[in-house]
Amino acid sequence: MGSLRTFIKDVRGAKTLAEERSIVTKESARIRTKLKDDHLPQDKRRKNIHKLLYLHILGEKTHFAQVECINLIASDDFRDKRIGYLAAVILLDENQEILTLLTNLLNSDLNHPNRYVVSLALSALGSLTSPELARDLYTDVESILARSTDEFLVKKALQCAAKIVQRDAALLEIFYPYIESILKSHHLSSHGVRLGVAKLCQAAILSRSQYEYDNYPEILQSLVLNIPEFYSLLQDMNATNFNPEYNVNGTCDPFLQVELLYTLRLLFELAPQETERYKDKLNDLLTQIATNSDGTKNSAHAVLYECVRTIFALQLEQSLKVLGVNVLAKFLSGKDNNTKYVALNTLLLVVPQEPHAVQKHRKFVSRCLFDPDVSIRTRAVELTFAILDSSNMKELIGELSSFLKASGEQDKDLIVFVVDHLIELFELHAVGHDNWAIDVMVDLLKVVGQHIALEKVSEIMMMINNLRDLDHKSKLIKQVLQISLGKSDGGVSGDNLGWKLVSVWCIGEYGDILLQNSYFLDTELTGYLTLLNGLYSHNVKIISYILTAALKLSAKIQNPACNEDLRQIIKGHMKDTNLILQAKSSQYSIIFNQPAKQKQDVLGAMPFFERKNKNGNSKSDSKPDTKIQEPNLLLDLLESTPASNGQTKNDSQTLASIFGDQPSNNTANVATEETSHVTIPIPSDAVHAYNSSDMDVSIKVDSVAPSEAKLDLYVKAHAPIKNLQVLAAVSKTQKLVMGTLSNHSIAAGQVSRQELKVTGSGKLKFRIKLVHESPTGTQIEQFDHKLDQSL
Amino acid sequence: MVQIKYMLMVSRQGKVRLMRWFSAYSAKDKTKICRDLTTSVLARKAKMCNIVEYQDHKVVYKRYASLYFICGISSETSNELLTLEIIHRYVEAMDAYFNNVCELDIIFNFSKAYDILNEVLICDGSMTETSKHTILKTVASMDALETSDNLDQVLS
Repeated sequence: MGSLRTFIKDVRGAKTLAEERSIVTKESARIRTKLKDDHLPQDKRRKNIHKLLYLHILGEKTHFAQVECINLIASDDFRDKRIGYLAAVILLDENQEILTLLTNLLNSDLNHPNRYVVSLALSALGSLTSPELARDLYTDVESILARSTDEFLVKKALQCAAKIVQRDAALLEIFYPYIESILKSHHLSSHGVRLGVAKLCQAAILSRSQYEYDNYPEILQSLVLNIPEFYSLLQDMNATNFNPEYNVNGTCDPFLQVELLYTLRLLFELAPQETERYKDKLNDLLTQIATNSDGTKNSAHAVLYECVRTIFALQLEQSLKVLGVNVLAKFLSGKDNNTKYVALNTLLLVVPQEPHAVQKHRKFVSRCLFDPDVSIRTRAVELTFAILDSSNMKELIGELSSFLKASGEQDKDLIVFVVDHLIELFELHAVGHDNWAIDVMVDLLKVVGQHIALEKVSEIMMMINNLRDLDHKSKLIKQVLQISLGKSDGGVSGDNLGWKLVSVWCIGEYGDILLQNSYFLDTELTGYLTLLNGLYSHNVKIISYILTAALKLSAKIQNPACNEDLRQIIKGHMKDTNLILQAKSSQYSIIFNQPAKQKQDVLGAMPFFERKNKNGNSKSDSKPDTKIQEPNLLLDLLESTPASNGQTKNDSQTLASIFGDQPSNNTANVATEETSHVTIPIPSDAVHAYNSSDMDVSIKVDSVAPSEAKLDLYVKAHAPIKNLQVLAAVSKTQKLVMGTLSNHSIAAGQVSRQELKVTGSGKLKFRIKLVHESPTGTQIEQFDHKLDQSL
Repeated sequence: MVQIKYMLMVSRQGKVRLMRWFSAYSAKDKTKICRDLTTSVLARKAKMCNIVEYQDHKVVYKRYASLYFICGISSETSNELLTLEIIHRYVEAMDAYFNNVCELDIIFNFSKAYDILNEVLICDGSMTETSKHTILKTVASMDALETSDNLDQVLS
């Protein structure tokens, strides 16, 4: 068995992953056998553990070595102890059973005459403190704090004490007096010791809620008394000449400074009354640190940053808050990306407290919108929205627009975020800025339309629809079509579906405006629709918009050739595999053939769309009901917003009466929410597949051809089921087409049927997921089912 | 203040060179964290900021030559900028100990790298010593103690 060095070399020298694995497993197995050998010489044991540590770094399992760590720690040889403790710290954690074996060893090593052995034991205890170890060993740690004059040991014992208090708050009683005594001791004044004091003080404050005895006020009082000491430490460190040993790029020990600031912050937070008398001094001190340390180095920034966090966490004086915001603004204007990031993050938290102070620095925020680092851009966008109000809206949204124009594919999430928020914002604020708001949105749509969710695009259409300034509206629509038809600069890319959708919708809605004074020719508009119809034949959303647009446009143009083209577009989808398109196309072609007068009645312009107000009181009551009956149905067909149920029924009756002899069930996609009472029988040869408290599911195979099978799924409800959705998956070699579900809502004892068609090859097996609303809430049930037949 | 949950050292090729967990993580979580962070940190460009948000906490990393030092810190209270200084202090200490440290030093002497780290960070990842001089002196004394133990044994 070779040395550690050879082992590492072998692993590194492996040419393939497989070779490396084989070396590693072999060695691991060899060590495992060796560990069982009780007579192995100590140096061999050390070597094994060394190798195991290396295996651990490689991500291998090392649990079998736990006992060996303990064996090494038990040895008298310092070399054994050192590697044994190291391995214990690395390989074990506080949840391991084996720690009980360690208790006695730690106990004797904490009292060892050699300071380095004690320090190893302290480090190990600090890493592995379980509540049991804390209770068993606190006396040893305490005796070090009480007796030792060795800074090296005291600093570690203090950290251990802090950890012990965290694990068992009752032990605070024992340790809290040492905070004061050690802080005031002249022998123990190294920064390491002070770090330990700060840590113990923090633990004492943070464990308050777990501390059960009633003398906590006393403890708190003694902690508060240390505040002047902390002040003078901080002041010393900010004085001009300090110990070069602790110098970090011109700042004196930023580590200790930050730790002390945090301790002070906790104290002031926890005990506002007791610390009141020290508050003025704190203000002075923070001002001093914030104004004096104007270094450009990260170490100085770290301290400044902690100061600012203290100011805002404690809600200190107004002047300090302004100072804090200015410090952060300076961070933003700098070059270092890390300070920019923390500054943006902190400003986000600060905005609610100091909106105006933050707004003053909006130039710097806007500049961060164009930072090459995406994390900074994200924060900057969030912050921009946070400081946005009516006074700076135009300016900041202008910045956001130019950000979006400069953004790329990798910013997709951010773009979606910005657009969503802008839409929300315009809903709330834009009264009076309507024209400007819609210009901004259309502009954005042009640039980033491919990233915007289609629901959001409908919001933009709604904004156009609701625009009150008719002149502006017609100008805007013309502009949209100019760009779409390639008549003006700045074409729109083919994958910008949002834009296409809006342009198609505009043609349908505002065909008359566009054709006025032959601004556009009817052939142009028809041609555009036909072109898109061909290009996006797979996109259901666009096609259904095209169908509606074609129908609406047909009522507005006289040219028979164009009308024929439009008829062809609609007719072309009558056999579409998509059921919605098929239904739509069939319905539309009936409307298409109605006399012009009736068509114009049905296909009138959309009414003003009343958004459902967030506070609930919609103003739509004032509108006369009769006038909007038919358009309301169209709204429904366009799937914009569902009209109320009662209204829908009315409308279908109206439509039925218009078209007289047409059976009313032609309006297939008008959703009916009622529970159906038509009984569907479950065929006797259906196989039972699943049952639960809510339902029974059976599957019947209708036909199995060599590469195609048709099946029916029957869901029988035990309790009433609403909004049933059936989702299914088949194996990779097959394809699944979901047919219709006969009823989405089933009464108890009734049955709903789902048709399935599977193509491909292999065994027929399914994973079925049923989503529905039962009286107890939304339920999801899932099961797998295998059939005997195969394809 | 800074509380470090874990520190990883990862090479530019994505190999873990050192890992130290200051809180108890399950083996599964450890593997996941290593894998996730290696991919996300290595993919970042040099000019980007050194702070990444990961799961419920923040991760601060810094690259030195071919090695990335990656630290997970508790999100609310830890000072991100100071974390960078802690990493730097540790690297400085190693640099002095190994006399111009390189990746190979750490690969072959990983236990020394651990020894130095144990003098900088203790318990649940809080800093215990800020003086580079003291850190080095301690590690050197322990090394000396090891050789003298060795000597004792040879002589006896």
